Amino acid sequence: MNTLKSLGIPTYNAVYNSLFPNLLKRTVAYKSALSLNNLYPNSSLKLTTLSLPPKHGNEKFSGYIPIEELDITFSRSSGPGGQNVNKVNTKVDVRFHLQSAKWLSDEIKEKLSEKLNSKVTKEGYLIYKSDLTRSQQLNLADCLEKIRSSVRECLIERAEPSPETTEKIRRKLERAAKERLLIKRQRSQLKNDRQAPQVVL
Amino acid sequence: MPNTVDKALNLLRFLPRVCLANIRDNPGSRRGPRRGRAQHGGDKHGAGNKGSGQRQNYMRIGYETGNNPFYLRFPWEPYYKGHHLKRQYPPLSMLDLQKMIDLNRIDTSKPIDLVAILNTGLYKLFPDQHQFGVHLTDDGADIFDAKVNLEVQWANELVVAAVERAGGVITTAYYDPHSLQAMLNTKKFFERGIPIPRRMMPPPDAIEYYTDASKRGYLADPEKVSEERLVLSQKYGYKLPKIEDDPDYEMLTERKDPRQIFFGLDPGWVVNLRDKVILKPQEEELLKYYAS
Repeated sequence: MNTLKSLGIPTYNAVYNSLFPNLLKRTVAYKSALSLNNLYPNSSLKLTTLSLPPKHGNEKFSGYIPIEELDITFSRSSGPGGQNVNKVNTKVDVRFHLQSAKWLSDEIKEKLSEKLNSKVTKEGYLIYKSDLTRSQQLNLADCLEKIRSSVRECLIERAEPSPETTEKIRRKLERAAKERLLIKRQRSQLKNDRQAPQVVL
Repeated sequence: MPNTVDKALNLLRFLPRVCLANIRDNPGSRRGPRRGRAQHGGDKHGAGNKGSGQRQNYMRIGYETGNNPFYLRFPWEPYYKGHHLKRQYPPLSMLDLQKMIDLNRIDTSKPIDLVAILNTGLYKLFPDQHQFGVHLTDDGADIFDAKVNLEVQWANELVVAAVERAGGVITTAYYDPHSLQAMLNTKKFFERGIPIPRRMMPPPDAIEYYTDASKRGYLADPEKVSEERLVLSQKYGYKLPKIEDDPDYEMLTERKDPRQIFFGLDPGWVVNLRDKVILKPQEEELLKYYAS
């Protein structure tokens, strides 16, 4: 007798009845050849929450800002937009006390207070505002980006121009001033010549 | 020294109010139409002398007196080349998703995947029209407030940030058209009596997206995804909720295998709904195939 099995055709057997689960066999989760533990054998495959980014060398500012230490307020934006701009709080105001900020080094604090003097209030709070987009979250991201870029900008060390360059620039400015005064004097003389001469009797 | 402005203002005090009756155009600003009458207006009907203008046998439009004309320089312009073959992801806004959750059409105590969204009946998908799944859009990301384990096919950064801010987990996963057909009407699929197929790998131009941790791809390393979670929280300015301490941590991190279509059902199984039985393959060849 030729069974399907003897003919080499693969067969199925009813093994699992959902009403009467086989308690002897442990249910193991399905793992194919492409499962994550085959793709990343050295990884823990666990989703965790990191609190600080991993440190990269000697950089002065990693870009990390503790959000709890910022004072974030929302308000309505200006400009056209109908009902949406009238009702939705899309404008974001982010402020923090500059001198007492623990996440900035003293060097950065000094440079920021110099450069952004106009953005610091009497009480010492540095203010950043944004109503760039129609979305509150994107405006908040814009504010944070502004904070980061201002910190990074003040950390850039610009090379001082050489004495030759400064001398060259000084000479250029002097020449330009001389030229300007010469033209001014010539024009003045021309205007004067158009008037009748003042006769002194 | 009388100022011009003062003089003008003085005039204005005594002149009558400006109205249509006491103003006129600047001379020369309007020229009347010249009719074909008398010596210079008539004669040649405005057609000039000789040439194609008078003889009315103009060159064809676009002709450039011999050189290759502009309208013939470009034999084809592939603006829409292959557009009919491109993958489409019909959008579902976060607003709609939040509404579905609020109106109890979706159960947030279980992982939400494409099957759950299709079962609401509010989102339709047509795999035979090159549609490959859900594109979760950021319309309503500002007000999204549900802790969910979400699996979609495409999501941008703002959407991912919105889901993670609310304490949830989002993954992007690929389903090939055969799997999608099975997911569309699961009951009908089971009634066909064929084994559940394996989910295929993404095509070459999609593999980069689905192996990227910053896009929360299902083929990406979860450790890298954890790093990206922090990056996004820093970018969008929210405190990253600690999901390890969440009582629903196991539900939130529950994931399908890359070859699996349905939660709890392996490829190769045949589900018999009438007799409430699941048939599993026993042959080594089959087992090897479905586990590959």
